[in-house]
Amino acid sequence: MDASSPAVFVNGALLRRFIGQKVRAVIQVMRSDIGSVIGKSTDDQQIVVKGSPQLPLTTYLEVIGIAETDNTIRAEVWTNFGDSFDAQNYNELCKLANGEFRHMFI
Amino acid sequence: MEVSLTAGAIGKIMSGEVTKEIDMMPVLQVTEVRQIKSQQEPVRERFRMLVSDGTQLHQGMLGADLNHLVKSGTLQAGSIVRLTKFLCNVIKDRRIVIIMQVDVITTKADIIGHPVLGGKTNDQRVADSSNKSNATGFEQQGRSEPIASCQINNTETGRSNAAISPEVGHRQGFGAGSSVPTSTPSTWAYNNTETGRSNATISSEVGQRQGFSAGSSVPASAPSTRAYNTPETGRSNAAFSPEVGQRQGFGAGSSVPASVPSTRAYNNPSAGQGVPRQDHARDPPTSYPPRQPAYQPQIPPPMYANRGPMARNEAPPRIIPINALSPYSGRWTIKARVTNKAGLRQYSNPRGEGKVFSFDLLDADGGEIRVTCFNAVADQFFDQIVVGNVYLISRGSLRPAQKNFNHLPNDYEIMLDNASTIKQCYEEDAVIPRHQFHFRIIGDIESMENNSIIDVIGIVSSISATVVIMRKNGTETQKRSLQLKDMSGRSVEVTMWGDFCNAEGQRLQNLCDSGGFPVLAVKAGRISEFNGKAVSTIGSSQLFIDPDFVEAQKLKDWFEREGKSVPCISISREFTGSGRVDVRKTISQIKDEKLGTSEKPDWITVSATIIYTKFDNFCYTACPIMNGDRPCSKKVTSNGDGTWTCEKCDKSVDECDYRYILQLQIQDHTDLTWVTAFQEAGEDIMGMSAKELYHVKYVSEEEEKFESIIRNVAFTKYIFKLKVKEETFSDEQRVKATVVKVDKVNYSSDTRTILDAMDKLRNIDATSLPIKPEGSNYSAEAVNTSIRSSGTRDPSSVDRRDFGLHAHQSGQYGNQYSSGSGAHGGGATSCNVCGNSGHVSANCPSANEPQGQYMGNSYRGTSGSYGGGGPPRQHVGSY
Repeated sequence: MDASSPAVFVNGALLRRFIGQKVRAVIQVMRSDIGSVIGKSTDDQQIVVKGSPQLPLTTYLEVIGIAETDNTIRAEVWTNFGDSFDAQNYNELCKLANGEFRHMFI
Repeated sequence: MEVSLTAGAIGKIMSGEVTKEIDMMPVLQVTEVRQIKSQQEPVRERFRMLVSDGTQLHQGMLGADLNHLVKSGTLQAGSIVRLTKFLCNVIKDRRIVIIMQVDVITTKADIIGHPVLGGKTNDQRVADSSNKSNATGFEQQGRSEPIASCQINNTETGRSNAAISPEVGHRQGFGAGSSVPTSTPSTWAYNNTETGRSNATISSEVGQRQGFSAGSSVPASAPSTRAYNTPETGRSNAAFSPEVGQRQGFGAGSSVPASVPSTRAYNNPSAGQGVPRQDHARDPPTSYPPRQPAYQPQIPPPMYANRGPMARNEAPPRIIPINALSPYSGRWTIKARVTNKAGLRQYSNPRGEGKVFSFDLLDADGGEIRVTCFNAVADQFFDQIVVGNVYLISRGSLRPAQKNFNHLPNDYEIMLDNASTIKQCYEEDAVIPRHQFHFRIIGDIESMENNSIIDVIGIVSSISATVVIMRKNGTETQKRSLQLKDMSGRSVEVTMWGDFCNAEGQRLQNLCDSGGFPVLAVKAGRISEFNGKAVSTIGSSQLFIDPDFVEAQKLKDWFEREGKSVPCISISREFTGSGRVDVRKTISQIKDEKLGTSEKPDWITVSATIIYTKFDNFCYTACPIMNGDRPCSKKVTSNGDGTWTCEKCDKSVDECDYRYILQLQIQDHTDLTWVTAFQEAGEDIMGMSAKELYHVKYVSEEEEKFESIIRNVAFTKYIFKLKVKEETFSDEQRVKATVVKVDKVNYSSDTRTILDAMDKLRNIDATSLPIKPEGSNYSAEAVNTSIRSSGTRDPSSVDRRDFGLHAHQSGQYGNQYSSGSGAHGGGATSCNVCGNSGHVSANCPSANEPQGQYMGNSYRGTSGSYGGGGPPRQHVGSY
């Protein structure tokens, strides 16, 4: 994976700000199709992740990739996060990381 | 046809007020027309009439010109006429009305009222009848006679009942018009005692009639009064029957059965009076026309019971101060504000079930009293009573106060019943204070008795979180404690139970965490002895946060000036046993706050990572002999032959136990320290028993395995519960920390705690922070961190608000709350100051902050203590 640019923590609402940029998001998997995975972001927005995961997916999944539209990510890295995950905390993180503490992240 | 006769006209005519039509043109009814044969002039017909205004009759002469009216029948007995021209002359000491012109309004009409003849007024009549129907007199006078009159009456004569009655009747409870059967026994008492006339009272219910009723209903037997509703029956006054009948009419109307019972009861005792007021009866009927509903002569409208028990009494109630209330007060009315309202509570006792509700009143003179209502009455008034409103309350009964539950400074309490009235008062709001307190200085509490109830006010210096406590009876309840400071230089622990924890407690917590020091006033708190004196809330306590009193203002001022820095001696000893709530701290705080240096050890919790373990002596040989339910665990010395001797037990054992004694170095984002972990904690950390590990190392000597185990241990993060205590080691004071418990970090809840802390930090910023370092959004600049709402320790309970522009740096920002979020891409720039990436030292947010502001600092958890600014610490190896 190309690690030159850091990926921005996003949730559903923030994704649109970084279209074309590398983002990372944790989504809850709803449906898995060939070539894409439909999931719910931590703020309950539908996200489509394009690509094929090599591994069987758990409930929660982190994807790192390029944001294509305001609800699609073309994933390059897929990481299983297990079945239990505190979505609310992650959501707060996204907000803080892009808001008050932006300077700490990017 | 509805025509009203001019009430009181006759009276006025008779008194001379009205002599001609220019004064008044009354509408009167002709009750009788008689022809007079004039003696002097030949056959001159003159007609003499009796005119009535409904209550009184009067002689009148019809002017000769109007004779034709009579002759033609236009004017006849019963006709209602308006006198358009008349004259009032005194002839032979008698006033005669000479009517010269009339307007006949109605020719045929029933006699209105029961006018009685008399050259005298009713008063006079009354006087005449002396005892009789004073009532009439009274009645005419209108009801506004206060109880007093009743009393007077009573005292006078039996009759007075009549008199009283009326009054009492209407006014009082009889209903003071309001037909509320007097709930004041006292009045009854009077009546009764006096004369038993209570009837009168009863009558009152019926309405004014008292006089009559007195006669009628009072036929001495109170019961009859009851009957008054069915007057016929009761009437001993058979004599009065007719009258009674009328009255009855009223009475019947009055259906105030409710009241009756009470009256009755009272009446009964005295009832003996059965003496029918015959006199009354007699007199009144004739002299005093009973009122008919439609007709309202000058006598004030009767209090018809049929208006319902809660009809208002016209008479202005006599308001007495609460402090003057006693079971022997007559009918009383108090005007007071509700300071406290308890909920509607169900109960069951041997007598059955019921519900009860009570509220406290405070009046303008500072008198306080509790009012209780049961069952139906409770339902009736529960919704009506609102705390803070002023009400007029009357007709309750007084009984001695139950000091167990009632902590108001009054020997009595009021009980309301069906007859009581509560009326909201909209004026005079300011006169009656909202609350009344008798504040005590905290310094005094020390000398006060346990279980006494006091009011106290102070500044909240610290507050801890709610814990759930199991009560003796097995139920759980919530408890929350805080420290209250006041000008005496003392502080006391105030414990809140139950709902207070959530409502006021949470609010206080928020205020404290945001850096505020709210003023708290406690009303009716109980002093208890528990590690020194403490104050707890009871069911009827009230807490007021930042109240608007003079004392509160004074406290705030004192606090601003000096209170903050004055060390407060606590009269409640801190109970920092292991039952305590998690007090989260950062390792740096151990040094900063000088934990462990006081007499008792401090128990704290830190979230940290093991960096290094000393494995030279990770365990020791221990005595396995059971001492009760615990093994002795004292170090045993080897005897050389494979046996071990324990000094304490003084025995030898073949096999010894191996117990952990791990020296670990743990580190969090602020500091690192050495701690010792013993058996239980050691096992948790290592994951295996000491014996096993010993085997691995020494017995089987599997070096590699040993190494890997050790490696695994390193850099594991746990929540450590530490006991910190200063100990003396050969002339040296050292603060030693022992690991009492090791827990895995629950990232989820930890994160939440941290987020909460961040929020609070942000709020403080919003409110009190003046300083903002350049370019940094970083909330929690300066100040906050040092805010410490004094935790559990006294010496350091002083607040330290370092508005520090400490140019020091401490620790690193652990990305500790990046739980699960993975590594960030490392930024190119790395700050020299804090070691963090993404900015340079000039922009470093931490440059201006005192230590401990970091997110990690949220370890303060619920206690709201922040680390104070401390010397900079450079940590190598940012985590």
